[in-house]
Amino acid sequence: MTGKLAIEAKGLTKSYKIGKIKQPVLKEVNFTAYHGQVTMVMGPSGSGKSTLIAALSGLMKPDEGEVIALGESLWKKKKAKIDQFRLDHCGFIFQGFNLFPALNATQQVEQVLKYCKVKKGEAKKRAVQALTEVGLDKRLKQTPSALSGGEKQRVAIARALSKNPQLLFADEPTSALDSVSGQVVIKLLHRAAKEHGAAVIVVTHDPRLEAYADRVIHMEDGQILSDTFVNRPEDVPPSAPHA
Amino acid sequence: MSLALSTLIYEWRRYMAAVIALAVAGLLVLSLVGMFMGIGKNFTATIDRSPADLMVLPPDSQGFGSSQPRRNIPTLYQHPEVVEVMPYTQRWAMWANFPSPGQSAKRDGVQVIIVDPIAGAVTLPNDFPEDVILALQEPYSVVVDATSLAKLGVKVGDKAQMNGRTVNVRATITNYPSLFNSMVFMSRQTAKLLNLYDEGPRVGSLLVKLRDPARAAIVAKELNDMGNKQFRAWTREDLARENQAEMFKESFIVIMLGFMLIVGVFIGVVITWQTLQGAILANIKEFASLRALGVSMGNLNLIIMELSFWVGVAGLLMTGILLVGVTALANAVGLTMFYPLWSIITIAIMLLTIAVISGLLSLGVLKKSQPADLLR
Ligand SMILES: Nc1ncnc2c1ncn2[C@@H]1O[C@H](COP(=O)(O)OP(=O)(O)OP(=O)(O)O)[C@@H](O)[C@H]1O
Ligand SMILES: [Mg+2]
Repeated sequence: MTGKLAIEAKGLTKSYKIGKIKQPVLKEVNFTAYHGQVTMVMGPSGSGKSTLIAALSGLMKPDEGEVIALGESLWKKKKAKIDQFRLDHCGFIFQGFNLFPALNATQQVEQVLKYCKVKKGEAKKRAVQALTEVGLDKRLKQTPSALSGGEKQRVAIARALSKNPQLLFADEPTSALDSVSGQVVIKLLHRAAKEHGAAVIVVTHDPRLEAYADRVIHMEDGQILSDTFVNRPEDVPPSAPHA
Repeated sequence: MSLALSTLIYEWRRYMAAVIALAVAGLLVLSLVGMFMGIGKNFTATIDRSPADLMVLPPDSQGFGSSQPRRNIPTLYQHPEVVEVMPYTQRWAMWANFPSPGQSAKRDGVQVIIVDPIAGAVTLPNDFPEDVILALQEPYSVVVDATSLAKLGVKVGDKAQMNGRTVNVRATITNYPSLFNSMVFMSRQTAKLLNLYDEGPRVGSLLVKLRDPARAAIVAKELNDMGNKQFRAWTREDLARENQAEMFKESFIVIMLGFMLIVGVFIGVVITWQTLQGAILANIKEFASLRALGVSMGNLNLIIMELSFWVGVAGLLMTGILLVGVTALANAVGLTMFYPLWSIITIAIMLLTIAVISGLLSLGVLKKSQPADLLR
C-alpha cells in the first residue's frame, strides 16, 4: 500500500457568494496524496486549506472538479454513500476535540466503532488498543472534564484511528495545544502513516511540524504555490506532478 | 450504557426542567384521578368490606341514596340460595363533643352507619376486630375512624352528644377515613335508642348473603329475572366497576380531567422539546464530529429519540416519587387516594408519548450539525 496513490483531485473549484460578489476560494486545484505519507498543507489564513480538505474528504461538495479517493469518484456518489465511504475509510481530527462530555475515553472510541458494525467485545478491545497506542492506557475511564487538552486530542486521535482509516484528515490538530502536546500529536499522525499505511493530510500553521512531513504543500489565495517532497514515494517520478 | 442514557445521567441538571415538566403533567392528571377514585372508594368503603355477596339496589340507581320498598326483602328470600338479607342503613346526625377545659367545642354533621355487631352479620364490615364488635354491642356505644377523632373533638373513652343523647366513644377503627363528614358506626339497637332507625316501608340498598359466594354472578342474574325490574342485584365487583364508570360520566369530572390532560400534554411537550433542543445544541459539535466520521443522520436521529425516551422514563419515575408525596399529604388530611391500574398505564403512555413527540420536534436542530463547520 505504502507509496500508492490514495487521493487524486482535479480542477477543484469552489466559491462563496458574499452578497452579490462571488468570491473564489479554490481555483482549479489539483491535488494528490499517497498512502504512508504525511502530506502537510500550509499557507496563510483564508487561503482555502480547510475548504480543500472538506472537498477531499466528502464533507463539502466543490462547485467543479473531481475527487478520486481510493479509486472511487467521491462526488459522483449519493449522500448516503458518501457517509458510508467516510465511515469505512476516513478519520478526522479537528482543532476542537469534540468529545461527548458524558463518555469516558474508552466509550468515546467505542461509540464510533459501534457504527462501524464492530461487535461489543471486539470494540472494547480495539478501543483500549487505540488508546494504548496514543499513550492513554492510564486514562481509559476518564471523562473529558478530567483530561488535559493534549490528552483530549489524543482521545480524538484514538477515536479516528480505531477504525483503521485509509485516509486521515487533520485540520490544525495542534493549534490548541502547547508545543510538547503538539509534538506528541504530530508523532502519532506520523505513526498512523508509517505503521498503518494511511494517507495523512495535515493542515497546519505550525512550522515546527514540518520535521514530520513527507511532503509540504503551500497554498495561497485558493491555489497551490509549491509542492515539495521530502520523501518521494516510489510511484512518483522525480518530475513530480506540480500544481 | 448507551450514549443517550449516559448523557442524560451525566447532564441530568440540563434535563431536569423536562423531567419535572413531565412529572407535573403526569401528577396533574394522576392525582386528580386518584382523588376522584379515592373519594369514590371512601363512599363505598363499608360496602367493599361488607361480607355481602350481592347488593340489591333500586332498579334505576347504581349509586346509593334512592330507595326501594321493604317488601323486596321477602321477595329475595324466595330464592333458595339467599341466606340473609339486611338493609344497609346510613343516616345523618348532629355530633357535639363535651369539651374538656381548654378544648374547643366541636359540632358537625356525621354519617351514621348501622351495623349488626354479631360475627358474620351481613351488615358488619369484615375488618372489624373482635373488641370493636364487643364494644358495639353495648347500648349507646359508637366507633369512629382513628383519623376522625380530632375532627370530632373526642378520644376513646369520651362521651359525646348525638341528636341530643349521650353516646360513648368506645373504640376506633382504621381505613375508614373521610374527607367530609366523619363516619360513626353503631349497632341497630343504639340507632333505635337515638331515633335514627325505623322500620318504615322503604329501604335503601339491601345486603344479601348467599349459601355459596362463588355463585354470586349466577344468583344475581336469577334474582334479576325473578324480580321483574322491581330491583337490581349486583355482585360487588360489578357495582364497584359501575361506580367507577359512573363517576366518569359526571361531565364536571371529565371536563376537569380533559382540561388537565390538555394542559399537561401542552406544558410537557413545550418544555421537553425546548430542553431537548438546548441539549442537542450544546452537543452539536460532538454530533458533527460523528457525522464527519461517517455516522449517518438517521443514526443521530436514533440517538435523540432514545434520549427523549429516557427523558420520558425519568419523568415517569419522578411522577412516581411526587405521587408518593402527594398521596402521603392527602392521607394526612384524611383524603384517600386510589390509582387504578388503567390510570397508571394511561399516564405512562401519555408521558412517553409526550417525550417521543418532543424528540421528533427536536430532530430539526440536528441539521445544524454540519461537519464542514468543524473545519476552521
Ligand atoms: N461558509 C462560508 N461562507 C462564506 N465564506 C466562507 C465560508 N467558509 C469559508 N469562507 C471563506 O473562504 C476562504 C477560505 O476559507 P478556509 O477556511 O478554507 O481558509 P483556511 O485556509 O482554512 O484559513 P485558516 O488558516 O484561517 O483556517 C476564507 O476567506 C473564508 O472567509
Ligand atoms: Mg482553516
